[in-house]
Amino acid sequence: MNAIDAMPEWMGKGNWKIASLLISGLLLCNIASAAIPPPRRLEQHFKVTAHPVITIHNPNGMVTVKAWTKSEVMIISTRASDDVEVEAEQMGNRVDVSTHATSDNVAPDDMRADYQINVPEDAELQIHDDAGEVNVANVLGDMNVETVAAGVDLEDAAGYLTVKTVDGPFQCLRCTGRIEASSISGNFRLWDLRSYHVRAQTSTGSLLFSGEFLPNGLYHLKTYSGVIEVRFSPGDSFDLSATSLKGRVNNQASLTPRTHAQHFYSRFGNSLFGTFNAGRAKVELSSFDGTINILKRE
Amino acid sequence: MATNTCKEFLNHLELWMEGERHPDAQAHLGSCTSCRNLVEDLNNIHQQARSWNLEEMNLSPRVWEALRFQLEQEGLIRSNDPSQPESSTAGWFSRWFRILPRPVMAGAYLTVLIVAAFALMKPIDKQINEARWLNGTQVSTTPLHAQLNTEQKVVYSLPNTNPVVTASLQKNMAIVDNYISLCEKSVREEPQNEVARDYLYDAYQQKADLLAQMTERGENAQ
Repeated sequence: MNAIDAMPEWMGKGNWKIASLLISGLLLCNIASAAIPPPRRLEQHFKVTAHPVITIHNPNGMVTVKAWTKSEVMIISTRASDDVEVEAEQMGNRVDVSTHATSDNVAPDDMRADYQINVPEDAELQIHDDAGEVNVANVLGDMNVETVAAGVDLEDAAGYLTVKTVDGPFQCLRCTGRIEASSISGNFRLWDLRSYHVRAQTSTGSLLFSGEFLPNGLYHLKTYSGVIEVRFSPGDSFDLSATSLKGRVNNQASLTPRTHAQHFYSRFGNSLFGTFNAGRAKVELSSFDGTINILKRE
Repeated sequence: MATNTCKEFLNHLELWMEGERHPDAQAHLGSCTSCRNLVEDLNNIHQQARSWNLEEMNLSPRVWEALRFQLEQEGLIRSNDPSQPESSTAGWFSRWFRILPRPVMAGAYLTVLIVAAFALMKPIDKQINEARWLNGTQVSTTPLHAQLNTEQKVVYSLPNTNPVVTASLQKNMAIVDNYISLCEKSVREEPQNEVARDYLYDAYQQKADLLAQMTERGENAQ
């Protein structure tokens, strides 16, 4: 008895051919699906409780973080190539997100991954992004952002904000927390601020501060050669010291001279000391050879 | 011991002023303008002091006039009768010397000497202080400078994953190095300038931070 004779009766000779084709097709499909990488766009959700911590390590790409009202972290990642993989894992109330190369020899452009992340308002963020851009909006928890060339843009942020770039620009819009920012050649723009503590330093970049000087607030702005521009309103109240060792100090504020002995810095460079209104905030501006402008806010 | 730094030379300064000429100190003096000026100033003071001994009371009439006016103002001496002007300084001085009580004279002389000594000592104090400040700054930054430069060579040999990032880091390293040079120049020109020193230390801190970042990235790439 041959195989054909052994076939069930319903499988006639023609049906056998169809079955062979179907099996071959299924095998091909299986092989093909094994070769297809996971989709480059991936959406992941993690349930969290109060004050979650989210860490993001990305060598290149755009990182956008927004606050929402859910107790959940949503991560939408988009990889530039199959040579990188995105890893997101939860450890208790912490979610770690990172981008890795899958092979040793990956082109820089292929190492890119973009992230859109939604977090609870009280989340704490730690972001490392060498190149690309970092945008964070409405997150009220503490934040640490470190980049090389990536720009950092924070909006309506609160908490303790520390930002460090090498030459990426930094903008803080309507921020209310404590701000510590440093860079070498990045420009800083601190706009509509209501922070009680600002410490910002950039070497060749410019530094623009426009915001309220809150009572008992401390504002320390420093550059090497970059221009420092501070804008004040008539209702502000601050005690000012501005020193540029080799640059100029231009002032539009009517200051009352201090009665006590001057700080030792006054012996060197171009300095300006005085009190505006009651002198409730403390403003220290210093530059090595950059210009310092103290201007009225329009 | 090789006297090849300002600090070491200052340690030998006292012996130098007493006439002991150590070859290393001589070699340092030949190459260091700052220490040479210091020694010249000390020699000037020494000579000035010797001339005071020789010309004990031959101070200029202007000094004596000022001294007399001060003593008259304080009521310690009587003024001369204007109807009988003295023709020579020595004449009025001898009469004045006679009427002055001896303690007053001694006190006045001492005052003049102290004022003159202070006036002469100010530049020398300044130079000694500046040399100390400069030396202190160099002592703290020279090893740091060497260490960071060694580190920089190692870091630059590490592989890089992203040329854009590497270029950015190296460009900013050049900026920081330039600031270190500018700050060092300022410190050399004004060793007592605290602001320049602060900026110098700050620039070194930035360099160290930058190297740490480059090392971290290089190690990750390996």
